[in-house]
Amino acid sequence: MANAAATSAPGPAARLRAERKTDSPLLRLLRRWGTIIVILATAVGFAFASPYFATLSNGNNILFSMIVSALVSMGLTWVVMAGSFDLSVGLTVTTTSIVVGFLIPMVGPWAAIVLALLASCVIGLVNGLLVTYGRLSGIVVTLGVMFVLDGINVFATGGYQVAVSYGEKAFLYIGQGKLGFLGVPVLVMLAFFALAHLLATRTRVGHYVSAVGDNPMAAFYSGIDVYRWVIVSFVLSALLSGVAGVILTSISSSAQPVGGQGYLLEAFAAVFLGATVLGRGKPHILGTLVGVFFLYLVNSGMNMVGFPFAARQLFAGLVLIIAVGANAALNREEIHLKFI
Amino acid sequence: MPDDDLIVEMRGLVKEFTGTKALGGVNVGFRRGEVHGLLGENGAGKSTLIKILTGVYSPTSGQILLDGRVVRIHSPLEARRLGLGAVYQDAELVASFTIGQNILLGNEPGRFGLSDRAIHDEAARIVVEMGIALDVRQPAAGLSAAQMQLVTLATLFHRRYKLIVLDEPTARLSASESDVLFRLIQRFKAQGITIVYISHRLKEVQEICDRATILRGGLVSATLDRGEITEERVTELMVDRSRSDLETYNLGHARPETLLEIESLRTALLEPLTLSVRAGEVVGITGPVGGGMEQVARALGGIVRHGGRVRLRGRELDLSNPVAARRAGIALVPEDRRKQALFPALSVADNICLPVLRSLQRLAMVRPGTKRAFADAVMERLAVRPRGPDTQVRFLSGGNQQKVVIGKWMSAKASAYVFVEPTSGVDIGAIKEIYDIILHLARDGAAVIVVSSSIREILSLSDRVLVIHDGALVSEAAKQSWTYDELLAVTMQGRHRRAA
Repeated sequence: MANAAATSAPGPAARLRAERKTDSPLLRLLRRWGTIIVILATAVGFAFASPYFATLSNGNNILFSMIVSALVSMGLTWVVMAGSFDLSVGLTVTTTSIVVGFLIPMVGPWAAIVLALLASCVIGLVNGLLVTYGRLSGIVVTLGVMFVLDGINVFATGGYQVAVSYGEKAFLYIGQGKLGFLGVPVLVMLAFFALAHLLATRTRVGHYVSAVGDNPMAAFYSGIDVYRWVIVSFVLSALLSGVAGVILTSISSSAQPVGGQGYLLEAFAAVFLGATVLGRGKPHILGTLVGVFFLYLVNSGMNMVGFPFAARQLFAGLVLIIAVGANAALNREEIHLKFI
Repeated sequence: MPDDDLIVEMRGLVKEFTGTKALGGVNVGFRRGEVHGLLGENGAGKSTLIKILTGVYSPTSGQILLDGRVVRIHSPLEARRLGLGAVYQDAELVASFTIGQNILLGNEPGRFGLSDRAIHDEAARIVVEMGIALDVRQPAAGLSAAQMQLVTLATLFHRRYKLIVLDEPTARLSASESDVLFRLIQRFKAQGITIVYISHRLKEVQEICDRATILRGGLVSATLDRGEITEERVTELMVDRSRSDLETYNLGHARPETLLEIESLRTALLEPLTLSVRAGEVVGITGPVGGGMEQVARALGGIVRHGGRVRLRGRELDLSNPVAARRAGIALVPEDRRKQALFPALSVADNICLPVLRSLQRLAMVRPGTKRAFADAVMERLAVRPRGPDTQVRFLSGGNQQKVVIGKWMSAKASAYVFVEPTSGVDIGAIKEIYDIILHLARDGAAVIVVSSSIREILSLSDRVLVIHDGALVSEAAKQSWTYDELLAVTMQGRHRRAA
């Protein structure tokens, strides 16, 4: 194969570029819009199957149900962008939720929120420092932190939920209030999305985090403080999970000591699905939001059509593999030797 | 020679790596706004010197003065802050970024917010100023090696360096691209920036350098002014006469039958090369680093896309990938052992037995004892010391690691061996042993190709010597017809010479 290839072409690099240019328009279209097309097709399918699917109130429902997951996923996106993993995001939600639940009676809602978010940043900072200066792998560190947080949570609460008093009207407004048609927490989520998206696309922070994630060596030689941006990504991840924790507490008027892990797996699915959106091949905030939206859209649609929960999981898993697989096939590398 | 306008001065710089002295007290000064060539054989200490200057290594002893003040440089970041920049041979880019984003990486215009437009406008300005045709919005992923090198050079533009080190910058460039580089150097010089220029190509050094320092065996042998940089002087100063000649000398084990036939082998960086190697023959290939000699090895190992035909004992081989090359009986012993040939965390026995596990197994199981016994026999033959088959390979010295790589292939019973820089990073004591092993392979009837930039090594080992320069074979002759100085001159000049 190599023999035949080189006889007609000047060089591998030139050949690769030539291939890119001569790709059929269809292939280019699929690479860029493939995931979006699949999502739209799924939505249209559900709309035909159920008259209640394509309604404004259902759209609102989907948005409302995905709030916590979306915030956690956007956070995780930062760490994956920087080239690492954060398995502690789910437990960070739980921890922040418990911290805010405990603190409201002591210091009032606003100070409690600030302190809880600070606590989440500390978790991120610890992760970041251990991964960089501590020279540990992101998977190991955040796995360890995940267990530690789980232990602390159960220990601190004794396994019981921490209820928020019904008198805390202002605090509960964050999760349960409405501004016209939309829920306040939906608006909070969208606001954080806008902020994160701007931070990722229009500022040095996003630029350097993705440079570091793509080629840390090049970043190092370009005089970028690699460690700093990796730490920043972990802090952002934890902070967004913290915001999710605060909102979750407000939505459910209580902090639950268990159940945070579920967000982790959803978040990973959303981030990798999101990486295929617009054919980037790299995680990005907008893609992640689309990814989360898709997972919850499928949930809602299959629920309406009457599929059991098991079928929903199965479908989501298949879509993830097919989307990421198709994307990899469309952006073929010459040698593939990465199995993480 | 008292110099008043030195931007950087190094005094008594010594660098020791466990046991070996890479630099033995180097004194050298770079003047403001000059282009200063740095010449020397492989292992003379050029890259060590540069790495100390740019903060990658710290010196064992000695001082660096910047603008007359003593400075300590601990990291590349710090070197940059002091105004000392470098473009390394294997420059890397952020693949998912555009050319423009790469050019301005770390120096984006604006304070906090980033404007995509501003970055690409600025990058486009730089590219136009350099006189190269690149679309700054194109992603860096598909660039050729030469284009990548140009992009890396472009990054120098907006950084306010006082001194820039260019390490073999033309190794990946064609003639017209090299002109871009030379124009760039003139520009920097006019701005008062000092350039330290490392190259194996004497012609370039003669053309663009104001002065040149020649290193030899970790010491400065002389600093020459422009007019003095002649082939004779440089050759004389580069060659280390004091180092006693290695005792190893290939007396010739070549048998009459041809074993390996290479017919118009070509890659993107190598013009068609035809070569045949007899059983027991050692063919040495030399030339400037990056000048195409490595391509021969990479193509034979199935690592790089190539054209042409390769036959072993008359049978045509499929060398489309490393697995096929191994099956075909070609053993590639690459230069970067740690990355490309060994499994550092596995034991010596595991490394040696890897290619032959199938023949050692019984009922799909390999007994550790069998493995150890096999490895032990190989280690005895190759004099790997200490002879602990259970030692992790990463704890062995460079020389012993190289022996393990060879041992791995010996157990796979390859018929042709390709060595790339077989003694780079190998302690002096082990060099002769490695040579003996290589010659032993030849005596046993293997076809051997040695690709090396060390002329001494080539002359010690080969029956026949080829010089590849700028991707083309410029000279081929039996070893006896070469003298050391002649061969060094041809390597540096790329001058044509084809003897019978």
